Amino acid sequence: MKFESANGTLTIYLTGRVDSSNAETVEKEMQSILAANSAEKLVLDAEDLAYISSAGLRVVLRLRKANATLKIVNASSEVYDIFEMTGFTEMIPIEKAYRRLSVEGCEVIGQGANGKVYRLDPDTIIKVYLNPDSLPDIHRERELARKAFVMGIPTAIPYDVVKVGDGYGSVFELLSAKSFAKLLIADPANLDMCVKLSVDLLKKIHATELKKGDMPDMKTVALGWADFLADYLPADQYEKLRSLIAAVPDDNHMLHGDYHIKNVMLQNGETLLIDMDTLCLGHPVFEFASIFLAYVGFGEVDHESTRQFLGIPYEMGEEFWHKTLHLYFNTDDEAKCEAIANKARVIGYARMMRRTIRRNGLNTPEGQAMIANCRSQLAKLLPVVDTLCFD
Amino acid sequence: MLEIQKKQNSNALVLALQGRLDTTTAPQLEETLKDSLDSVTELTLDFADLQYISSAGLRVLLAAQKTMNKQGSMKLCHVNSDIMEVLEITGFADILTIE
Repeated sequence: MKFESANGTLTIYLTGRVDSSNAETVEKEMQSILAANSAEKLVLDAEDLAYISSAGLRVVLRLRKANATLKIVNASSEVYDIFEMTGFTEMIPIEKAYRRLSVEGCEVIGQGANGKVYRLDPDTIIKVYLNPDSLPDIHRERELARKAFVMGIPTAIPYDVVKVGDGYGSVFELLSAKSFAKLLIADPANLDMCVKLSVDLLKKIHATELKKGDMPDMKTVALGWADFLADYLPADQYEKLRSLIAAVPDDNHMLHGDYHIKNVMLQNGETLLIDMDTLCLGHPVFEFASIFLAYVGFGEVDHESTRQFLGIPYEMGEEFWHKTLHLYFNTDDEAKCEAIANKARVIGYARMMRRTIRRNGLNTPEGQAMIANCRSQLAKLLPVVDTLCFD
Repeated sequence: MLEIQKKQNSNALVLALQGRLDTTTAPQLEETLKDSLDSVTELTLDFADLQYISSAGLRVLLAAQKTMNKQGSMKLCHVNSDIMEVLEITGFADILTIE
């Protein structure tokens, strides 16, 4: 019986069948492996297990009684069905084997920092991740996407996480859609329509109520940004920044986290949201901080950055930002929108400053210019912003 | 290839699907639904002879569910295990009523 002991986990590989003819022998072999190898965690790998009968299930039950960490992985559909039917999936964590897919001959339709996107068939894509250690991230993104989808957020239909060669991928619906960025580049006259549709979708997202713990809490993340800047801001500014964020009320409504025209698509008259890995919950001011950065903040020092990132001129980004605020808050009042914008900008500059520093910005001229801009903007805003909340 | 059989009994409509519901055939179901749902308060989709469903098909189901949410109810029946697995993985099993 093959086994492997690594990093405190003992994995025993089951093969063939475990039934009344061999259950006793299998149990004895496992026990001798367990006696010779101490481990904090015990895993049974069922990849080559074709069938398990009641006698085999009894062995598993005894194993579980002796070892509370027992987990079963790579179960085939048939074996998983047996465990589910008999209630074992409620007693022991059991994972199904990943579907194996090949992308040979598939067209590459996109490339991101994390890997490539292939077209599997006329309406399915697979995002293949470069780094095989990214499995927890892949599962996290997929879970967020699925949760949002089931709650009614218009987004690509999420399928499963699959094995591709030595790595992993996640399967999604192929959207035959144009991003709002593409629509704006094609025809700037689309701007007002794009603002309206994106605000409608944004309101729908923000109206979706979650339970605490369903998704990451944006306020906690933002406090982390502030704390990072303790070493980079004058003490009084850091204190003010932190207390402003801490005073934002808890809010369990959904936020996208990276909402901009490249993440919103138009398919058959329906507005769809993509890139769900930054989904979180919190007060909308946090969302407006990210929106400000995308449309204005990133390109403030070098306007070319906006064109490189979104494909539109900086001025169009500014217009999109202003119109978004006016439409979302349903007001013509410039002063009101400016006050809200300033609250968003406080959080936005804090985020951008931290991000630039973490990417070695203190050692490049572009980075230094961005950091200097954040510093001067925060120095201007922090004395005059008393709260990050809007009515 | 997709064949759709309609059985109407006053406000209850049963559509039996035979074949595949994919990018080429989904528009056909979409058209049928558009033409048939007017006074329907109970929609049943019989999947007994449906072999395969892709995202395009799922999208049509989603739109139909949204429509029926406003005027009555919708359910799926006789879903085979392969299609059931797709419905579970994609979260559709949580959105639709499946008998």
